[in-house]
Amino acid sequence: MTSKESEELLKKGHAYALRTKWREALVWYDKALSFDPNNPEAWYLRASVFIETGRNNEALADCERAITLNQNFAGAWSKKGHALYNLERYEEAVSACIRALALNGNDAAAWYIKGVCLDELGRSKEAQEAYGKSLELEIILDIEKEKKRSG
Amino acid sequence: MSEMKTEMPLSKPVRLLISQTENLLDTEISLIRNPEADPNGTLVDMYTYNVERNIILLPAHYIGLLKDFLIARHCVHLLIKGSAAKKSRYQVCSFTGDSMYRGIHQIYIDALKDEAKKDKKLPVIKLIRMLGILYSNVNDEINELPWNPITNASVYHRMPPLRKTQLYYLMKEGKMDMDAMMEYESVIPRRYFVLSKSMFYARDQYLAKTLPADELMPVVNIPQMKKFNHLEVKEMLTTRWTHTSWYQSRIFGDTMLEIMEKYLQNIDWNAEPGLDYFHEIYKTGVKMTDHFLSYMSMKGWFVWESPKHLLEAREKKAAYEFGALKKIFGDLIEKSAIDGDTET
Repeated sequence: MTSKESEELLKKGHAYALRTKWREALVWYDKALSFDPNNPEAWYLRASVFIETGRNNEALADCERAITLNQNFAGAWSKKGHALYNLERYEEAVSACIRALALNGNDAAAWYIKGVCLDELGRSKEAQEAYGKSLELEIILDIEKEKKRSG
Repeated sequence: MSEMKTEMPLSKPVRLLISQTENLLDTEISLIRNPEADPNGTLVDMYTYNVERNIILLPAHYIGLLKDFLIARHCVHLLIKGSAAKKSRYQVCSFTGDSMYRGIHQIYIDALKDEAKKDKKLPVIKLIRMLGILYSNVNDEINELPWNPITNASVYHRMPPLRKTQLYYLMKEGKMDMDAMMEYESVIPRRYFVLSKSMFYARDQYLAKTLPADELMPVVNIPQMKKFNHLEVKEMLTTRWTHTSWYQSRIFGDTMLEIMEKYLQNIDWNAEPGLDYFHEIYKTGVKMTDHFLSYMSMKGWFVWESPKHLLEAREKKAAYEFGALKKIFGDLIEKSAIDGDTET
């Protein structure tokens, strides 16, 4: 199996994930990883499914694997923040989000998770700043989505 | 592996509100993100539907405060429904064969008046089909709209961190409601078009009066929202209406607003939020709805009944509609007229 074929497997998995068919998505991601375990995207995508299904420790492990393969993978840092938040490891989650945002400042989810974690840590003022940034980005995304929807 | 998702990052005030709602109602709330969910989110609750747990369906692309705002609004609505169910009876505007006849008959008379003034008449078959559709539309609106200003005002007062989000959402929702039905403007009787818009107009005006505050200045630094800069919510919610063709009929909207204010001004939005408190809000909403129906001369159109009654009425809608049309048109009407198969 070539890496191109592995990409095809990931695409199939992603198509299921978009429809929240997590079980099916996981089957395709597992297949892709068995053929190409050096693809950070595959570990990241599987981590997303683990998060959606509450398997946070496995999600965290997959994010770390993705980051090992690519230190500058912003999405994997953001997802790691999410997994750490779910595990109530707020300080570490904030650190992961900061790293994610240094690589991609337009990641609304990372800003939001950073805000939520700061809020949980009682750092309310910093949390509001992060929420504000997250909201701005979310609104921009929403407006773009509405535009697409209305053609 | 379940497709359900109940664990997702939530801002602290929303997490606390969910927990408070679950405790007060002794129930569970599941949050599910779905790519095909309605942009307003959907509350599928055990007081309305035959389900074992309450579900809030959210659009998948809402990941942050937009999601939190929708959750907050649905939680408040759930508290209102649940408190009514626990303290007395939770009822909605349902319909029967007789009440549907009264509604459809009135719409028909109004439609005939409008048609008499038109150069281009509506084909009879279209007019007949419009009667039932419009009746159902009014039923849906009267069951939803009065609760919108209530839940919004409650979220505004109880959850200050969500105010900027609320501002954006109200602008968006108001625009959607303003645009709704525009393509049917020439089909439905003018009276109903005006009344429907009046309810939305009153909602916007009420919220503009209730919500203005410094925190509600539009979110800056968003290029797409630049045109709203330096406007307060009031201006934003009101100015848009002045640019619509509907605006000349705003006298109805102003009266609707007076009705809304009459009932909602007595609610202490910051009072201790217990079951009694939300039950009182429910009763206020019911009274306000009755007043709307009375003002719109629709008093006999609907009956206050259980949500189960409404669900069953919807299943029987075609039969009720056919019965109503038979009463109006006699043997001229055939079943196919409402099924859309052949000409009458």
